[in-house]
Amino acid sequence: MEQDLDEELAFHIEMQTRRNRALGMDSEQARRSAQVQFGANTAAVKEYCRDVRSLVWLEQLWQDLRYACRGLVRSPGFAFLAVFALALGIGVNTTLFSTYNAVALKPLPVADPGHVVRFERWTESHATGNFQYGFSWPEYVYCRDHADQFASLVAASRTFIALASTPGSAATEQRTGQLVSANYFADLGIPLTMGRGFFPGEDSTPGGNPVVVIAYRFWQRSFAGDPKILGRTIQLNSAPFTVVGVTPEDFTGTTLDVVVPDFEAPLSMQAQLLPGQDWLNRPEQQHFQIFARLKPSAIRPAAQTQADLLVRQFGTTWTARDRTVAVTLQRTTYFPNTDDVRFRALMAAVMLMVGLVLLVACANVGNMLLARGAARQREINTRMALGAGRPRILRQLLSESILLALLGGLAGLLFSIWTTKLLGLALARNAALIGGDFSAVNLAPDFHVLVYVLGIALISGILFGLSPALQLTRRDLTAALKDNAEFVGNPGGSKLRNLLVAAQVGFSVLLLATAGLLARGLVRARAADPEFETRTVFTIDANFDDMTGDPVKGITRRQRLADKLRERPEFSAVALGSRPFAGTWTPPIVVGGALGRTLASYASNNYFETLGIPLLRGRFFTDREARGKSPFAVISESTARRFWPGGDALGRTFALDMNFNGTLRDFEVIGIVKDVRFANLTRPDPAHVYLPPALDVPAWVDLLVRVPGDRERALAAVASVVAASDQKLLPGLHLVNLDDGAVRLQRSMSHEFAMLAAILAILALALAVVGIYGVISYLVSRRTRDIGVRMALGADSPALWKDVILDGLRPALAGMVCGAAAAACLSTLLHRTLIFPGSMDFLYGVPFYDPVTFAGLAAFVPFVAALASAIPARRALRVDPAVALRHD
Amino acid sequence: MNLLQGTLDLLILRTLQAGPLHGWAISDRIQQVSEDVLQVNQGSLYPALYRLENQRWIKAEWGISELGRRARFYHLTASGRKQLGVETADWTRLTGAIGKILEQA
Repeated sequence: MEQDLDEELAFHIEMQTRRNRALGMDSEQARRSAQVQFGANTAAVKEYCRDVRSLVWLEQLWQDLRYACRGLVRSPGFAFLAVFALALGIGVNTTLFSTYNAVALKPLPVADPGHVVRFERWTESHATGNFQYGFSWPEYVYCRDHADQFASLVAASRTFIALASTPGSAATEQRTGQLVSANYFADLGIPLTMGRGFFPGEDSTPGGNPVVVIAYRFWQRSFAGDPKILGRTIQLNSAPFTVVGVTPEDFTGTTLDVVVPDFEAPLSMQAQLLPGQDWLNRPEQQHFQIFARLKPSAIRPAAQTQADLLVRQFGTTWTARDRTVAVTLQRTTYFPNTDDVRFRALMAAVMLMVGLVLLVACANVGNMLLARGAARQREINTRMALGAGRPRILRQLLSESILLALLGGLAGLLFSIWTTKLLGLALARNAALIGGDFSAVNLAPDFHVLVYVLGIALISGILFGLSPALQLTRRDLTAALKDNAEFVGNPGGSKLRNLLVAAQVGFSVLLLATAGLLARGLVRARAADPEFETRTVFTIDANFDDMTGDPVKGITRRQRLADKLRERPEFSAVALGSRPFAGTWTPPIVVGGALGRTLASYASNNYFETLGIPLLRGRFFTDREARGKSPFAVISESTARRFWPGGDALGRTFALDMNFNGTLRDFEVIGIVKDVRFANLTRPDPAHVYLPPALDVPAWVDLLVRVPGDRERALAAVASVVAASDQKLLPGLHLVNLDDGAVRLQRSMSHEFAMLAAILAILALALAVVGIYGVISYLVSRRTRDIGVRMALGADSPALWKDVILDGLRPALAGMVCGAAAAACLSTLLHRTLIFPGSMDFLYGVPFYDPVTFAGLAAFVPFVAALASAIPARRALRVDPAVALRHD
Repeated sequence: MNLLQGTLDLLILRTLQAGPLHGWAISDRIQQVSEDVLQVNQGSLYPALYRLENQRWIKAEWGISELGRRARFYHLTASGRKQLGVETADWTRLTGAIGKILEQA
């Protein structure tokens, strides 16, 4: 293009010269005249011609990019550090986003997911939670029969646990199942690996179609991938079912929890799978999600209006406890309740942390660019003096930073593919501990992730590139031409540079302090012990209240079973009471007029014996007290210290607002027990009262047994007792070890949290070192000439040393103070949450102004800053002043 | 005489109606036909040519000039011919209107 233009213009001048000669000029004159005739100078014409080309900006961009590439290749050290820092920052952000994308943005694995929606209920009480997706079968039928906006409506129940066995084998396993309408596979468009889905009508005759579709994993694990699985019979909760299909390996299910059901059965088989329950006729039995496939022509608001209208119409036919006021249609994602406040808070907290990492990385690169820019100041000034426009140079500088950012983004993306897999594995391990299955979730980056990476790369590129670029192109021409002093000598520039160094150190310190505190928790987490017995204690889970939620029924039935189990030798202790680590209940407590909050739980007479919580003073409940509604309580030692400091708590009274409605109930303290970590592993309960199971208020009471011997024999013993006394409890009966479920989950979660903190700490450390060292050392090395001049003038080296190092330290120290202050604020904020007795202590009791962390920082940052100044300063001081003076 | 804004495009299109020409020949021809009244400033000729090429009204191809040297020859495209029609009509309307005002106002 460029050459064409040259040639064309040369041709023009040539022709004009000929003409001029023909008119009688001598050749020299003819040429000059031709050139004069050309009007402005050829360069300007060329510039104009280039500008009119529509592709000119593209060409300039290409030019700029090539230029930037050459620049980066010429300083590979800088390029590597910058890309590395950015890759870390962008990588951790992308990891988080990929995971968020997989659970909250990617649609469910159904055909044409854009047209599939989930019904969501909104009730009078404004309560939120997974129950919002629960609908009763009659509601579904009413909607199905009256709606015309939907191509089809599909019902899928919540999951339940069933005991599965194959004929001819004695082994019984716990499996999760789900009841679905017959059109589940067909209308949602879920392909099967083998076999078929359900035929239309297979959900209509109660008990009539004992067929089941099993999950790939179930097929592999329990049937070793038997190719002749179709047609085989399996026993589910004692009823025979024929396997007709197998779902694909990557099918994550459509449930509300992190669970992939092991089997799907037509909902007409509900009575066989869940005997004693009725999910199909009663409108308060809201166990089904409703999925709707919109007609291709359907307008979403119209469909929503119809769904809303139909459910509310149905609502007038019966009296609900919490009236439905609206129904909305929600796009289907893996986690349904993404607008849940807790989910959002968690996401926001983690995003803030990783966002901080990216900010530090940007500050790093921005600083390095600015330092590097100092070397290019003269080149830029010269170009500007020669008439290059400021926008043109800005564009060029920005293309360099954007190139860096894109490279960083690419490296970050690759890095994140790996880390996302790791995070997925960690999540899958956690999910497995609570019986869930996260391993099938597809975490691979998709279009959303690519757009996200591109977006944050461009934003970071502009973020770290703009201010150095503006700074470098700001100077006026006369000063620029005169100037051949270094950029660092420029007071304006040095102010900005100091500010940037300080900001960078500040961010790094904030990140380091947070990560450091959390990582210190890691050490404590390892040693964290509940301080009561968990390995030999099991809860017996079964359908004690017939899914009615009736606490009285649940408690009395458990009590009957407990009495029978006490006679068996397999159990050394049997008790009724609250299950540890299963959530917290923190009612207001009034002691002598003072109001506070305390953890509370229920305990029968031998509850403490079962869990191995030692009595310090007083006594436990008697059997009579534990069964009746007695006004006695056992409290933990910290409760006694907190509410009766200095005095004796035994025999004193307190009042509890158990229902959070202002009605107080009085209790007398009869015993004091040792402090344990009952609510969560992170800290001993700050206050905890144990009450006898109350029969007049909803109480979450479990049956706990201590099994000194073999677990399988204990399960067999429970099963035989149940079979003899309360047959209906058999389906779904299982034992859960306290250590298996809750404790291990908490322990592994806190481990992972601490690991995350440790990784962040290492990242922060790497970024801080790279950033602080990179900038300060570069700036000092730019002062070689200045140092040389001063040495030539006779300055002694100790004074120079002091100067150089103080210059580097000053902004670093300012940043450190700001960062530490911000970290202290954050600490205080975190500390505030601990006032609430149920909250987690992520630091495992590490004090918030942890002297080790803060002292470590106070030593580390100045050390890096001083080192960064000292090394290049040493080099500069050793240089012969004559050489230094020529240094540029 | 300076050219009215925008008229250079019209003149180039009209000049090329007769057949392909290179840049110098275009300016030479405009000068000749206008009997030296109009002199195209070469500094604006080439940007105009590139602009027209961008609009797809003219197209350029390398050819051999009358002197046996490589030169870029411009020719009208179909849409350029149409544009010439439009611009000629506009021009006639404009000069007609100006003429009327000069006569009567």
